[in-house]
Amino acid sequence: MTGTPIIQLLDVTKTYHLESGDFTALDHVTLEILENDFVAIMGPSGSGKSTMMNQLGILDVPSSGKLFIDRKDVAALSGLERTHMRRDTIGYIFQKFYLIPLLSAYENVEYPLILKYKKHDTTGKAAALLEAVGIDRDMSTHRPTQLSGGQQQRVAIARALVNDPKILLCDEPTGNLDSKTGFQIMDILCGLHREGKTVILVTHDPNIAEYAQRTIRLVDGRVAES
Amino acid sequence: MMKGDIFFNLSFRSVRLNFLRSMLAAIGIVIGVVAIASMGMLGTNMQLEVKDQLSSSANTIVISPDAVRMGPPGFTPSSSTTSGVTKSELTKITSVVGTNGTVIPIYTTSGEFTISSVAGRGSIYGIDPSDIGRFLKLNQSYGNGTLDLGVNEVLVGADIAENFNLKVGSRIRIGSFDSTSRPELRIAGVLQARGTVADGVNVDNGIVVNSQWYTEQYGGKDEWSQVNVIVKDTDYISAIETALDQKLNTNAKTPAVRITDATTQLETETSTLSTVTTFIMAIGGISLLVAAVSIFNVMMMSVSERIQEIGILLSIGTEKGEVRRMFMYEAFILGLLGAGIGGAASLVIGYSVVDAMIGTTAYFFEPASILYVPAAMLIGVVVCVISGVYPAWRASNMDPIDALRSE
Repeated sequence: MTGTPIIQLLDVTKTYHLESGDFTALDHVTLEILENDFVAIMGPSGSGKSTMMNQLGILDVPSSGKLFIDRKDVAALSGLERTHMRRDTIGYIFQKFYLIPLLSAYENVEYPLILKYKKHDTTGKAAALLEAVGIDRDMSTHRPTQLSGGQQQRVAIARALVNDPKILLCDEPTGNLDSKTGFQIMDILCGLHREGKTVILVTHDPNIAEYAQRTIRLVDGRVAES
Repeated sequence: MMKGDIFFNLSFRSVRLNFLRSMLAAIGIVIGVVAIASMGMLGTNMQLEVKDQLSSSANTIVISPDAVRMGPPGFTPSSSTTSGVTKSELTKITSVVGTNGTVIPIYTTSGEFTISSVAGRGSIYGIDPSDIGRFLKLNQSYGNGTLDLGVNEVLVGADIAENFNLKVGSRIRIGSFDSTSRPELRIAGVLQARGTVADGVNVDNGIVVNSQWYTEQYGGKDEWSQVNVIVKDTDYISAIETALDQKLNTNAKTPAVRITDATTQLETETSTLSTVTTFIMAIGGISLLVAAVSIFNVMMMSVSERIQEIGILLSIGTEKGEVRRMFMYEAFILGLLGAGIGGAASLVIGYSVVDAMIGTTAYFFEPASILYVPAAMLIGVVVCVISGVYPAWRASNMDPIDALRSE
C-alpha cells in the first residue's frame, strides 16, 4: 500500500461494560485507510462493523489503542474538537438517512454550513449540491417525510458533502432502498471517490461491496481480511 | 438575529408542531402572569388612591392630646386634669405657627342622631364657622348650602346625606332616643366626600356643628379634641412640628400632645397595603410554580420525543451548546407565548378587578401600576427559561450513538 494514511487504527480495542459482563466489540484492530481509498467493511452481524463506524465517525473513542483521523489522535481531542471534526472532516451517510424532520431538504443540506460558518448559505453551494444529486428546486422545499427513500438518501449525501469533508462514512447507504435506486446512489458515491474523497462503506451486500477498491472483513471484532 | 438562527427556527417549528400541548403548558404561565400582574396592580392602585387622598391633607399638622397619665392605681387626678388641648396650649400653637399657617381648633365626639325618625350614629365635629371653609367644601348637588353655620345649623357628610336621602333644609335631631334633650337643627349644607384623610376630620359619615352649639351641648369649652394647623408651605412642616414639640412637650417623659401629619399615616397605610400586596402576589406566584412544573414536563416530553433528532444533530457536528440553546429557545418561546397572552389578559382582567374592588380606574395606567404587566411577563418568561434548563442540559449531554439508536 502506498499513499498517505488518512485513518490509522493502532491496536484499537473497544470494550462495553454490560451487566452480563464485558463485551469486546473491537479486538486489537490495526489498519490503515489511505486518502482517496474506497473501502468496504463487511462482516456478519455482531462482527463490530457498527462499532468500527462509530470510531471512524468520532462518535466514540477506543477503550485502548490509538485512532488517528486526518493525523489527529482522536482520544487526545476535546469534546468540542471532536464535534468540529465530525462537522468539517467527516461526512456521514446513514442507512436510515437521518434527515432532520423539522427542516426542508434544502435546509437539511444547508444546516452543516450554518454550523460551520454561523450564517445562512449565500454561495448557492447547498442548492448546487442538491441539484448535483438529482434533487430539483421544487423538491428541495419538501420536508423529509414528503420525499421517497431514494430522494432522502440523495439529500443525505448532499448534506454529508456540503462542508467538503475528506472522508465519507456510509453506513449501509443502500440498505433501505430498492436495488435500482441503490445502484444510483452507489454511482454517486463512485463519482465522489473519483473526485478525491475517501469513501468508507459498511455493507452486507457483496454486489455493493464490489464498487469498493478494497474490502475489510471483520469477524468477532477482529480484522479477518484487509 | 434570533429569527435567522437555525436553532430558533427548529424550536419554533417544534412548538408549532405540538401546538396544542405547547398551548396547554403555556396556560399555566398565562394564569401566573395574570395573577401576579392583576394583584400587583390592584395593590398599587389602592396605594395610589390612599396616597392621593392623604396628600390632600398633606399640609396639615394634627395636634391631639397625648394619653392622659392618671398615675398609679388608686391615684385621683386633680381637677385641672383635662382630656383635650387647652387654651394655653392653643395660644402656644398660635404663637409658634404665626403667619406660616392657620390654626383650627376642633371639638370631636361621637353621637347618635335622628332624621325623620330613623336613627344613626356618627362623628360630631364642633368647628368655628370661620374655620370650616378653610378645609371643607360643599357639595351643592344637595341644594344651595352655606358653610357659614348658624348656631342651630349643621353640615352633614356625603355618606349621611346619601344614606338618609337628605337635602339642604332638612332637619336632624342630635342625641340618643332616650335622651331628654334632642335638639333639632337645620341642615345648612352637605359636604363633599373626603375619603381617607390624614387630618382626623372624617366628615363623610359625620356632622359638623357650630363650636358654640357644641360646647353648649357637650361642655368642655376650651378643651379641644384636636388642633389642626394648615401650613402655607409644606417645606416648613417639619420645622414647625419641631418648634411645636419643643414648645408644647416640655417634659419629654410625659408629652402633653401628640403631633402628627399625613406623612406618618401615609407611611403606615402604604406599608400595610404593600405587605398585603406582596402576600397576594406571592399566592399568585404559586400558580407560576405550578406552571414551571408543567413547562418542565412538556420540555422533558419534547426531549424524549426528539431523542433521535438530537442524535442526528450531535452526530453531524452540532455542538452541545447549540443543542442546549435549541431547547432553551423552546422554553423561551413557550414563556413568551404564555407571557404575551397573560400580559394582554392582565390588562383586561386587572382593569376589571381594579374597577370592581376600588371603584375607580383613575390610577390604572399610572406607571407604578401598569409596570406590573411587563414585570409579571418577565417573571413568566424567566420561570419558563429556568424550567427548560435541565431538559436542555439533558438533551445536550446525550450520547449520540444511543440517541441515534432510539426509535
